[in-house]
Amino acid sequence: MAPLSNATGTTDAEVPALPGDGLREAVVADLRSNIGEALLDVRLDPGVDLWARVATESWRDAGLALRDAGFRYFCFLSAIDWMPSPFGRGEDDPSAPPPERRTEIVQGYTGGSTRFQVFARLTDIDRHVGITIKADVPDDDQAVDSWTPVYAGADWHERETHEMFGISFRGHPDLRNMYLPTDFEGHPLRKDFPLLARIVKPWPGIVDVEPLPGEPEEADTEEKGE
Amino acid sequence: MGLIDKGLMPKPLTSLFNMGRSYSLWVYQWGLACCAIEMGAAFGSPRYDVMRLGVIPLPASPRQADLVVISGTVTDKMAPAILRLYEQMPEPKYVISMGSCANCGGPYWDSYSVTKGVDQIIPVDVYVPGCPPRPEALLEGVVLLQQRIKNEDMGARWRGEGHKAMVREPIVVGGGPVE
Amino acid sequence: MTDLIDRQKLSYIAAQAADARLNVELETEGMTLNIGPQHPATHGTLRIIVRLDGEQVVWADPSAGYMHRGYEKLVEVRTYPQVNTLINRIDWLGSFANEVPFILAAEQLMGIEAPARAQWIRAVFFELSRIANVGLFLGDLGVQLGAITPVFMAFRDREYVLNLIEGATGGRFHPNFDRIGGLKDDLPKGWIDETRQVMKKQRQFADEIEDLLFGNKIFQDRTRGIGVIPAAVAQSYGLSGANLRASGVDWDLRRDQKVALPYDQLDFKVWTHPDGDCFARCWVRLQEFREATRIVEQLLDGIPSGPVMAKVPRIIKVPEGEVYVSTENPLGEMGYYVVSQGDLGPFRVRIRTASFNNISVVPWVLRGVYVPDVISILASLYFILGDIDK
Repeated sequence: MAPLSNATGTTDAEVPALPGDGLREAVVADLRSNIGEALLDVRLDPGVDLWARVATESWRDAGLALRDAGFRYFCFLSAIDWMPSPFGRGEDDPSAPPPERRTEIVQGYTGGSTRFQVFARLTDIDRHVGITIKADVPDDDQAVDSWTPVYAGADWHERETHEMFGISFRGHPDLRNMYLPTDFEGHPLRKDFPLLARIVKPWPGIVDVEPLPGEPEEADTEEKGE
Repeated sequence: MGLIDKGLMPKPLTSLFNMGRSYSLWVYQWGLACCAIEMGAAFGSPRYDVMRLGVIPLPASPRQADLVVISGTVTDKMAPAILRLYEQMPEPKYVISMGSCANCGGPYWDSYSVTKGVDQIIPVDVYVPGCPPRPEALLEGVVLLQQRIKNEDMGARWRGEGHKAMVREPIVVGGGPVE
Repeated sequence: MTDLIDRQKLSYIAAQAADARLNVELETEGMTLNIGPQHPATHGTLRIIVRLDGEQVVWADPSAGYMHRGYEKLVEVRTYPQVNTLINRIDWLGSFANEVPFILAAEQLMGIEAPARAQWIRAVFFELSRIANVGLFLGDLGVQLGAITPVFMAFRDREYVLNLIEGATGGRFHPNFDRIGGLKDDLPKGWIDETRQVMKKQRQFADEIEDLLFGNKIFQDRTRGIGVIPAAVAQSYGLSGANLRASGVDWDLRRDQKVALPYDQLDFKVWTHPDGDCFARCWVRLQEFREATRIVEQLLDGIPSGPVMAKVPRIIKVPEGEVYVSTENPLGEMGYYVVSQGDLGPFRVRIRTASFNNISVVPWVLRGVYVPDVISILASLYFILGDIDK
């Protein structure tokens, strides 16, 4: 049948080779030449991926530099709370005293010194390479510059990060809740926000001790809990 | 129909009305999440055709529906909308809660934004368990609801004791015969 | 594409000028309209608040969150196999595709390689979930533009694919079949032959839909030139999948990124369209649907024999590290940024869903369109609420 569209349709063009190490190192060198001292730490897994951490004041400048270097595809932007959760996984016996838990904050790749970090992922479509870029969020004043002038899509991501973590973005046109109702209290993705259902009734582990509907209660139910 | 609420309608006539009502249920087209796809398969696919039971999935407005199937997760943000839409349905109305999320919160039982079961907001007649329940399970729920409607006391419902009567024993699919 | 945009701009400017003149003469006020959260035409509970001036949208604001279930918090309290069960339900039409990037991320952190047979079978199920997902898109496309017949055909043909998935995994959708290190089970006997028959049927379905819907004058009038998204805007918003390729950007993660699935051994085309309007997006998805059936046939011809599960410890503890893995899911690019601190469950997972970015372009694209075109644009952008709201 006659084609419905005058599109060229398929792409049988030469596929560029996947990036080798030289490409990622060139990206790092390019970024360093643009923002200089603000590039604090880099982790490069050859052939795999690239991480970089920049100073908080140059968060927006780093975004601009990367966008002008070819990273025009905005993947996502979010934050990480590095504090270990004081509630564990909600599988502990409430009658027993709470177990010992780790409390010191350990950051992941490319280090850092604060509890919160914002991070973003950008992709360069022509050179087929992606970069994850992070920045510390100062503990006293939890705010960083907004990326909305750099990428238009950062708008929604920053709204979500703000409501989930409480980090505000300077220069964002309209920072209101994305997912949660307006009168929601608290910032859910912070580690000190408890999941109340798990505290009220802890998960009993692997064993299901209730009978299925329709089955009679067994007279001799043996305790099979944790 | 003053005879109905005084309980003066003869039994054969009320059972005729009940049979008529149970075989012409109009379902409100509303799905929330994954269970909506199974509900769509039950309603819209020729394999699990629900129209052969007399259930017509046509109304897109609550004002013309007698049955609503809450299929999918109910979140706290969505709950006022569900209540509002339920109140817009005219009596006599029935609710089938489909899937674990609507029954009790389901796999998201510990979430901060999920309502643990739609029965916290509106009264439910039939619970259909599953994640997602097969379309045949939903059809069985509809058939059990039809059996209950046939045995219903129209007078009690008209007098407004309908909801009190519903609280006694909601039906669970797979939980045995219904009287 | 530029002259299409120019023509559209001129016609909108002319229409707006005419309407503005009329509004001044009649002294009309704008109206705020709520589309959703319950609406027969939106795929679920999306609420769009539009401010209208006459019949034109002046300002649009999608209000998501009516299906927000808190995935990123829930996965922090679950172990890796439990997370696998839960993330099936993010994009609930093509569910197997949600598990794949997460499992690949966990395997990359653990340093485990699933055996070749498992990777090929994973790719088969990945494409089957694409067929199930896009098949329903083609049906829903009709319903949203007013044609009701395609949706019955879509559900009927989707049943064949769901039969296949159920035959191998036990679940119609939400199969929960992928495991860290491979798959849960091998394929049953006779499954491969039946899949070949089903792929032929799916191609017939694609031809039927193209006949029924795409050549229809009403469909063409309602989708050509509507909702044009230029390539630069698409990239800065992070659109992915067919939306990006319909704006002319040649980017497909199956071909352009190194993934463990065996796409580099297959021969498939990547479909693009230069226009960037609603018709382009629908057309690209139709072609991808057909391409997926061909990919499945190539995969079935080449499945190697061997085990389906690598040697993994019984209790899975993933060592410390961070990784981002994304794949070309039916809706677009879906990725998981997994941060692990050596525990039974992940420390932080950032779920990058395709529909979140796809719908973030709605305030930009809906300026100046008429109300019926709002529905066409939403239909062509194709989102799943679980994907937007996580």
